[in-house]
Amino acid sequence: MPNPIETEIIRCALLQAAEDMNTTLIRSAYTPTIYEAKDCAVALLDREHRVLGQSSGLPIFLGNLEECTRATERLYGRDVWQPGDVWVLNDSYIGGSHLNDVTIYAPIFNDSGESEPQLLGFAASRAHWIDMGSKDPGGSMDSTSIYQEGLRLGPVLVEKGGQPCRDVLELISRNVRFPEPTLGDLRAQIACSRIGAARLREIVERWGLDTIDAASAEIFEQTATLERNAIAAIPDGIYCAEGLLDNDGIVLDVPLPVRVAVAVSGDQISIDLSDSADQTLGPVNCGAAQAVSACRVAYKLLVSGDIPLNGGSFGPLDVVLREGSMFAAVEPAACQYYYSHLGLLIDLVIKALAEALPLRVAAASYGDSLITQFTGVDPRTDKAFVSQEATVGGWGAWHDSDGESCLINNVNGSLRDMPVEVLETLFPVRVNHYGIRQDSGGAGKHRGGNGVIREYTFEAEQHLSLWWERSKTPAWGLFGGKPGLPPQVLLNPGTASEQSILKANAVSVRKGDVLRCESGGGGGYGVPNERDQASVDLDVAQGLISAESSARYGA
Amino acid sequence: MTYRVAMDIGGTFTDVVAYDENTGTFEAAKSPTTPRDLTRGMLSAIDKVVENAGEISFFVHGTTQGLNALLERKGSKVLLLSTQGMRDVYHIARGNRDRMFDLHYRKQQPLVQRADTTEVRGRLNWKGEELEPLDEAAVVAVAEQVKCGSFDAVAVALLFSYLNPAHELRVGQILRQELPADIMVVLSHEVAREWREYERTSTAVLEAYTGPVVRKYLSKVQEKFSAAGMDVPVQVMQSSGGVVNASFAREHPLQTLLSGPVGGTAGGAAVAGLLNLKNAICVDMGGTSFDVSLVLDGKPDISHEGDADGFPLLTPLVKLHTIGAGGGSLAYAEAGGLRVGPESSGATPGPACYGNGGTRATVTDANCLLGRVDPTWFAGGSLQLDVDAATSAIGSLAAELNLDPVDLAGGIVDVANAKMAQAIRTLTVEHGLEPQEFTFIAFGGAGPMHAEAIAQELGIREVVIPRFPGAFSAWGMIGSNVRRDFVHPFFIQGELLDQDSMVDELKALGRRAGSALEDQGIGPAHHEFEYSVQMRYQGQDYALTVPLTAADEPAEEDFLQTICHRFGELHESRYGHSTPDAGVEFVSLRVSGRGLLPAMTPKPFEPVAEAVGKRSQRVIFQSRSWDAAVLRREELPVGETVEGPAVIVEGTSTTVISPSSRARVDENGFLIIEVGAK
Repeated sequence: MPNPIETEIIRCALLQAAEDMNTTLIRSAYTPTIYEAKDCAVALLDREHRVLGQSSGLPIFLGNLEECTRATERLYGRDVWQPGDVWVLNDSYIGGSHLNDVTIYAPIFNDSGESEPQLLGFAASRAHWIDMGSKDPGGSMDSTSIYQEGLRLGPVLVEKGGQPCRDVLELISRNVRFPEPTLGDLRAQIACSRIGAARLREIVERWGLDTIDAASAEIFEQTATLERNAIAAIPDGIYCAEGLLDNDGIVLDVPLPVRVAVAVSGDQISIDLSDSADQTLGPVNCGAAQAVSACRVAYKLLVSGDIPLNGGSFGPLDVVLREGSMFAAVEPAACQYYYSHLGLLIDLVIKALAEALPLRVAAASYGDSLITQFTGVDPRTDKAFVSQEATVGGWGAWHDSDGESCLINNVNGSLRDMPVEVLETLFPVRVNHYGIRQDSGGAGKHRGGNGVIREYTFEAEQHLSLWWERSKTPAWGLFGGKPGLPPQVLLNPGTASEQSILKANAVSVRKGDVLRCESGGGGGYGVPNERDQASVDLDVAQGLISAESSARYGA
Repeated sequence: MTYRVAMDIGGTFTDVVAYDENTGTFEAAKSPTTPRDLTRGMLSAIDKVVENAGEISFFVHGTTQGLNALLERKGSKVLLLSTQGMRDVYHIARGNRDRMFDLHYRKQQPLVQRADTTEVRGRLNWKGEELEPLDEAAVVAVAEQVKCGSFDAVAVALLFSYLNPAHELRVGQILRQELPADIMVVLSHEVAREWREYERTSTAVLEAYTGPVVRKYLSKVQEKFSAAGMDVPVQVMQSSGGVVNASFAREHPLQTLLSGPVGGTAGGAAVAGLLNLKNAICVDMGGTSFDVSLVLDGKPDISHEGDADGFPLLTPLVKLHTIGAGGGSLAYAEAGGLRVGPESSGATPGPACYGNGGTRATVTDANCLLGRVDPTWFAGGSLQLDVDAATSAIGSLAAELNLDPVDLAGGIVDVANAKMAQAIRTLTVEHGLEPQEFTFIAFGGAGPMHAEAIAQELGIREVVIPRFPGAFSAWGMIGSNVRRDFVHPFFIQGELLDQDSMVDELKALGRRAGSALEDQGIGPAHHEFEYSVQMRYQGQDYALTVPLTAADEPAEEDFLQTICHRFGELHESRYGHSTPDAGVEFVSLRVSGRGLLPAMTPKPFEPVAEAVGKRSQRVIFQSRSWDAAVLRREELPVGETVEGPAVIVEGTSTTVISPSSRARVDENGFLIIEVGAK
């Protein structure tokens, strides 16, 4: 039985092993989606698939990499794990997210010399690959089945006994649009597995497997204790909230309900999503694993932000899903936009618990990645291009602060906006305006953050695709706070041909057309007339609210 | 004229090191920092090492004036002028979050409030061509706004100015015409000639925000020095590890932002030079923080971008990685587990053993309990440690965790060491290197106490404890050369390269650097130039700096092939892969001009005559009590070998050597620890 000192040194070493995996992945990746936007996550698992250490650039990848090793074992049995093997998987119904999110994982064995090698654990990483060979470059906004979304890989070996499986690499490179960087990212993920394996082997060699087992049991128990205490502090009860997603991108006039029922009882919490919409024709579906991850994000935001994440995490959390719903989609549901309903779900869990945890919660945020995509052939180079941008927006206020303005949404984290100078250099568009959207944050004792306005002029004919959400349920306020403004996208605003659109797939636009994109604001917290006059005046002076709208704060 | 003096002005103490050119000897001292008027503390520090201040021939210092103004938000009132439609770029700040699970996330409060941002018509395109002329009348109106609003500085950041600075230059001309001379005008392309408008704007704002404070400070120092009979020009350490004179620093104050801590890395590079080391890890551990930086191939690891208190900065600076671990790191229990740091006891109350009312256990308390400090002679005898307070702080935590207090004390130090070792490993892994390929250089008050144990943890065989570890930043500055960096944008795809024009531009840059060095009073015979080119694969956002052998290297026939190969190798070592057949593009040309100061020829180290001599005390290693020698460092002669276990004390620091290692004193007076040699 290790003492608390050994346990803590082992705990730090395991966390650092995961950090080293993350550093290696980011350092070696080929595409900016990984090394810049950090659309990736890594985990070091023990041989029972429990997390020893994890690091993530994307909150929504929280705690579900182990689903991949578990599913492989369920399918092929425990004997399938062999030294030197590396596996790949991107099946949406296992990993939960879209096919672009590819998980690479490897069993880790000790170097035992004469005796039978012993399984120590697994090293896994997930990263967004820029193209999986879907019907449209990068991914479609109007897919209606997974078969349109690209190459789908079940658990498949990419290395066997330390040697690359050339047939599988050929299969991949013949099915994706950009094989060179894609295989580069694959190699980066393999390098990441190798570092994870080497680090875990070093740790086991130094301390012995029995000590590691005992220490990790103790480490998990520490986390479990902290989490149970945090849940026990929430008053028992059943807390509900619901909201509407605009549509599935195909059937535009049917909003999709998301309903959460959170039950707290003693030191246990359950989140029931079974009353939410059925799986949809359009691509706003996810596999069960990703719905569980989203609930874990909400849980982490509310109760366990600072508690270390490991195999002891999330014990008190039960997630109830209905198979065939948009949160537990089954074949052949399209999953490209697997996260729009997850962003809403996270905000709704927080809303449900507002009465129980008034000091922990925040009003709703603008809520979605709001994707704007331009594709075509750049007349300056005669080369095909794909420009894809996510949009920042306003976050909700809380008990002692205004919400932040122009911040990336809750399922993302490290994602940065595209600099105007880089965008205009790489693509045939010009940005006329990029600024704070005045008055878009909800009024309240504490004001919601403002969204953003980004206006483009197209410098050449091209195709426009949009995935903009949350107009039916814009960011709500809490405790008397007002909602933020919904998003709005206008093509050629202020002209006879003005057109308001939020979702579009490859619509033709002409040179000189103008596109104005306005993201939503966050919700306010507390009744507006309790806001102190000095703060209202300051907001007017800073131009965050207009002089006219300051009347909303009148007594 | 016989002394060279270097000074590091910290929050609490001003460290000074003097080199006597006649005797070839160094001397170091410390004096309390006097925040209201720093020159008082500076002059009294000088008094401690130099008899006649008029005999100082060279004076360099690290100043934290700019950084403090930033950290305390006491910088100047800045107006930000942007291109029409772009005033909020600075406030949007790219929209990313650096904490993933925080529902109450707020960005760093911007240094310019939104009401103080304004726009002007005039637009360039992605090639730097003018789409719309500059609205000059609007600029004149902005000048009025500056005067009426009592602003101290204006930051001008226009789109694509890195390609074509014409609009920014014209704005600068108009503002300088209209405004009184004491209002600083900063043009973004002059501080950071690179793309990405938010980062460039942030750099310009940082210069405008901290600049006026630094200017006032430097003028005052020069004035007070003259009044004290010191006519020596005041030199300042730059964030990039080179030295510049005060009149340059007044014009480019931002380049001195990280002036203080960088001295340690410069010192690390100097040590690496003396000992012929290729790669070194420089560790500066004080009371609350632990800074790691690297020396690679004998040179400080310099990055062309970084951040200051969360604001991006596109200027060359030494890469410092800071973690919250120090002597003051708190140990505590959480759910039955032991945790050490990052929370710190801070300056007050500090560790329990400081006797200022601290009751919670810290790393220093643990060291105290283990006998790894000399309680009667801590910090050069300036502080008497309260061993009882340390024992009681550790004791109550031990009771909570059900551990023996001495075991716990060892454990606290082990956990702290393990965390620091891991932070170091992450830094080297980023470069694709393992720590075993480095020598460890430890300094700061607490660095030498932990160095051997951390090296042990990392598998490093050699640790260097330089002289004056508590004033090492100052020591590092004294030997630094003058350095001036220039960048010129040079956007072209590899296959379209005009080799002659690249040579012409490089030579022009070299001439600029040369005349800048002459402005610093350094003749051409002592100039050295390093040319480099920034390159990337076509379509990449970020570029790598690829060294050139000379300004005319691009004239060589197979240059494109050579440089692509060199770039590929660099890409391989930085990112683990390269793509030999992919197209490359050039982004900018750089020159780093160094003005070599006359070399110092220090005499071999001489110990002071034996005064106190050898004592011994009980020290705990691996839960065992050992009889360890306690030695005064200044009494150890060159060539002396010290077998562990031993504790070597000196004015500002304590070096601990475990039973499995030994140390020797080299001719520089450095302690060289051979880790695990016994």
